[in-house]
Amino acid sequence: MDLNFKGNKYTASALIAVALLVSLLTGKMFSGNKELDALAPAPGFEMRMLSDYFEGLKGDVMDTPVYVQNGDEDGGSVMVLGGTHPNEPSGYMSAVLILENAKTVQGRLFVLPFANISGFSNTLAQEASPNKIHFTLHDGSTRVFRYGSRDTDPTVMWPIPDIYVHKASGQELAGNESKNLNRAYPGDPNGTPTERLAYGIMELLRKENITLAFDLHEASPEYPVIEAIVAHEKSMELAAVTAMDLMAKGIEVRLEPSPKNLRGLSHREWGDYTDTLPILMETANPSQGRLRGRTDEDLVIRGKDKAYVKAAGLGRLFVPYDENGKPLEQRVARHVEAIKLFTDNLAMFEPERSVVIDGLPDYDEISSNGVAYYLSPNH
Amino acid sequence: MGFMTIIYRLILALVLFLTVRSCFREKDFWRQATAALVIIPLLLRLLLIK
Repeated sequence: MDLNFKGNKYTASALIAVALLVSLLTGKMFSGNKELDALAPAPGFEMRMLSDYFEGLKGDVMDTPVYVQNGDEDGGSVMVLGGTHPNEPSGYMSAVLILENAKTVQGRLFVLPFANISGFSNTLAQEASPNKIHFTLHDGSTRVFRYGSRDTDPTVMWPIPDIYVHKASGQELAGNESKNLNRAYPGDPNGTPTERLAYGIMELLRKENITLAFDLHEASPEYPVIEAIVAHEKSMELAAVTAMDLMAKGIEVRLEPSPKNLRGLSHREWGDYTDTLPILMETANPSQGRLRGRTDEDLVIRGKDKAYVKAAGLGRLFVPYDENGKPLEQRVARHVEAIKLFTDNLAMFEPERSVVIDGLPDYDEISSNGVAYYLSPNH
Repeated sequence: MGFMTIIYRLILALVLFLTVRSCFREKDFWRQATAALVIIPLLLRLLLIK
């Protein structure tokens, strides 16, 4: 069959019209990813913006909501940061679950569900990730959340350097890490969008004198720091007690010290530059791993992948992994249970700055009921 | 919008214009189709959508 067609101005016009139509449709889809996911905060939460703490973010695409709930009794304060990496859904879904269920009795609770909000507007190139995850609620309605990228949106932060130099230490990393919020602390008020965001979070920690702060993450099952708590030396005793409590409940967890020479990360810089007790936590997410097969919403939510079962059999993983996979409800349950225990144990170390939060389900409840069970249909 | 971003978008606009012009000047249909395909990412990036 002869496929050598002659072109003319009419075929050119038709092809350009098709290109414009495709641009319009895909542009509409991509633009939709910039819209904030609907949230239904529990009663008592007040919404602020990070720019209330750092003026330099006002009107900026990096500005992100901060939800604050005050208890009736005085106490300390806890901050929960989800969405540092928007392709790590147990982090931001744990923050959302806490936002929609918490009832602070003593002290104050700060929740930032979408820390690097610009990273939710796109997915990482060549990863074939889904851009949305769906939850069917008990009343039959659906809640939708974006699945984003590890980095700040490239249309927001461009160009990037070949080598990223962390300003506070001179540490050199690959240029792409300049878009990684968790390499940007303590930030720079006059720096890149990511550095200004990091500085805004530091300002929140300082101005609200946050007692205990969590940065929630996920990583692939072949990554060594996984199903782990990473603690600054200031928070190590509290983390050790909490790790023992988790293991007493049958939840295996690693306890890792924050390396002093690995700079820019929350567990290091929050502790060095503020009075807070910083904690970073990681769950195991096969949809981020290099060994995974088909990457879709099912893998993100159910966490089942036969290549990982094989890798576990060969002893190549740092966590147990079987046919049941690593479902999102189990990953969120780990984060929420750990936050509950950390907050309870805070009273032992900082009795004057205790925080009491009711209303949060425990590990077994989330694992058996699923995440959707705790999302509000009133959004 | 930073100075570098303005320069970047001007370069994009130029390449987009040249691609459209090439599409109209080309006599081979498949080369025209290739030019039309290239227009899509150029346009989305020019508008800072993707």
